[in-house]
Amino acid sequence: MASAHSKTAGPLAEPAPPAAPAPPAVSSGSFTAHKILIAGGFGSGKTTLVGAISEVRPLRTEETLTTASVGLDDLSGVDGKTTTTVALDFGRITLGHSVALYLFGLPGQERFSFMWDELSYGALGAVVLADVRRLSDCFPSVNYFEAQRLPFVVAINCFDTAPRYAAGEVRAALDLDPGVPVVLCDARDLASVKQVLIKLVETISITRSRQ
Amino acid sequence: MTVPPGDRWRPRGSGPVVRPYAVTGGRTEPAHGELLDLVTVVVATGQPVTADDRMRQTPEHRAILALCSSHVTVADLAADTGLPLGVVRVLLADLTAQGAVTVSPERPPSQRTEHDVLQEILNGLRAL
Repeated sequence: MASAHSKTAGPLAEPAPPAAPAPPAVSSGSFTAHKILIAGGFGSGKTTLVGAISEVRPLRTEETLTTASVGLDDLSGVDGKTTTTVALDFGRITLGHSVALYLFGLPGQERFSFMWDELSYGALGAVVLADVRRLSDCFPSVNYFEAQRLPFVVAINCFDTAPRYAAGEVRAALDLDPGVPVVLCDARDLASVKQVLIKLVETISITRSRQ
Repeated sequence: MTVPPGDRWRPRGSGPVVRPYAVTGGRTEPAHGELLDLVTVVVATGQPVTADDRMRQTPEHRAILALCSSHVTVADLAADTGLPLGVVRVLLADLTAQGAVTVSPERPPSQRTEHDVLQEILNGLRAL
């Protein structure tokens, strides 16, 4: 689905003709991996989006329990328990021989926000998935990435049963900076997810070229 | 559904038999060096390790080492071994200290600039 915004001329060139899918062979020594975060409220479609474009794999982390989980995580009978297992979903997209993108789903609930700093360290940028029925769920992610000055795009996940709003209305509701693109997407659809990621990388490139 | 013989007395989802940090001898942080990021690329050096070091390698060390034969990230290793991230970091620090694996520099020393990398990512995404 196309963005409601006119196409901005980014500093990056348009793609080479599709006749050249195979990138030049690069020595294995120059392989780099890059991190992109997928954020949004609970149930906004983060895992679906990662799964649409890559194979989703779980990653276990042992995290220190914080008071934020009191009342949510049942600790009765395990008073001595100070860590808990948090499963993170991620997917890898290998692009050519020398670059891979790793998409990490950011645990949406507020009580996992202590993990955001570690996950966002060194990240290229982020996608904030928004569900228009519960737009306020993505406020924490938007606030966080604005504060971190991490480039991000807002992708409105068009659930079948959700009312449709123009991207401009969502932009106004979220009070976004003009440089933050708002795009419509279907998190289940590869082509749609691809467009979201392309828009993000273009945004990252524009941001970096201004720095 | 058939249950593999070894798992017969262990219902699915019951978690690991051994507590996570038992495989690191109770160490929760690498002996030295900084914490590796999730997308830090590691690769086996192919260098022989001393007999002493080989004795100290656990099956988990060897499993990680085997996966490092090509470029993998810390996140890949944690997912492939099923070990928690913190455990993988401790074991990787051991292997690095032994000279068995090495951490790839974040920025390759080649002429590839950030702009080139972003362009490469864009081209790759468009070609998907």
